[in-house]
Amino acid sequence: MFINHALQEINLKVVYYGPGLSGKTTNLEYIYQKLDPTLRSELVTLNTREERTLYFDFMQFELGRIKGKKPRFNLYTVPGQSYYRFSRKIILKGVDGIVFVADSQRQRMSDNLDSLLDLETNLIESGYSLQTFPWVIQYNKRDLPDVESVAALQAKLNFFGATSFEAVATDGVQVLETLRTIITNVVEKIEVFV
Amino acid sequence: MDGFGTNDSQKLILSEEIYNQVTKQMHQLASNTGAECVIFCESNGYPVTYVGDTKGLELPVISSLAASNFSATAKMASLLGEKDSFKYLFQEGEHTNLYISNVGFSFILLVVFDVEVALGMVRIYTRKTIEALGSILESAKADEASAKQFLDLEFKSLLSEELNRSLKF
Repeated sequence: MFINHALQEINLKVVYYGPGLSGKTTNLEYIYQKLDPTLRSELVTLNTREERTLYFDFMQFELGRIKGKKPRFNLYTVPGQSYYRFSRKIILKGVDGIVFVADSQRQRMSDNLDSLLDLETNLIESGYSLQTFPWVIQYNKRDLPDVESVAALQAKLNFFGATSFEAVATDGVQVLETLRTIITNVVEKIEVFV
Repeated sequence: MDGFGTNDSQKLILSEEIYNQVTKQMHQLASNTGAECVIFCESNGYPVTYVGDTKGLELPVISSLAASNFSATAKMASLLGEKDSFKYLFQEGEHTNLYISNVGFSFILLVVFDVEVALGMVRIYTRKTIEALGSILESAKADEASAKQFLDLEFKSLLSEELNRSLKF
């Protein structure tokens, strides 16, 4: 979080994490399409030649002024492939909230677990943990044929009881709900004047 | 420890007085170098302030790219056995050059200038500006305000309504 008193701005960072090809970029693309163009930046994607995320995707959106203050949200994705570990650490710097996008397909369960473990390791290295950090989990690709049951996904991945969503990011199903919830969770954690 | 997360980042609060002092330094740098624009941003990519003509450049985008680029080169410095991050990055274009410097205190400075402007001059004046910014930001650390003074419960509740409106719930 970064607060600019002079401009009365509050900036928050949300990172979409998860294994390669789980739908992180698709989430951002849908959000980009749905938001009022006057309230969002360009969607930046840094891809490999094969259209896979090389470094990150980024977009910013803002809300109208609230009590004179302007909230801005910076949304990032990380590259999912295991060998981009350092890139993920860089993108996590300064993160306020995380959306973990899991691939519901049965054969991707171990990739989901590896990615979640990688996330928790990175958090722990910085003195945090999924146990207390604001995060939500999105079970994506619910429309595909060979998917794990939500109960199985919950049992294997959601060991800290984070809010979960059953999504089809390509159709926008539960994409905006996921975003709204993580922002609400992040803001909820901010200590305020009472 | 890399130091990310809400607790650490809550410390990144810039007062109006410091903002004005920083902006003044940037005006001076732009005037001394003839730079097209000078952008001051936080090291996680949040744009803070700018002077000059950005020519429609989206500040959140250029700031986030510059900050990530800088973080990546910091890792390269570490792999090469450097104790600290590299001090600056220079990108040379056909018409426009970009000089990105580490200000310290979790901030970076971007100078966008025409290729006709001598790089040496940009380097010298940027170094002087960073020294001045260092003193300003050092004093800012002492009277860092808390986020508590910025937000209240009503803000949280109104934010939720505004969020629903923007996301069309």
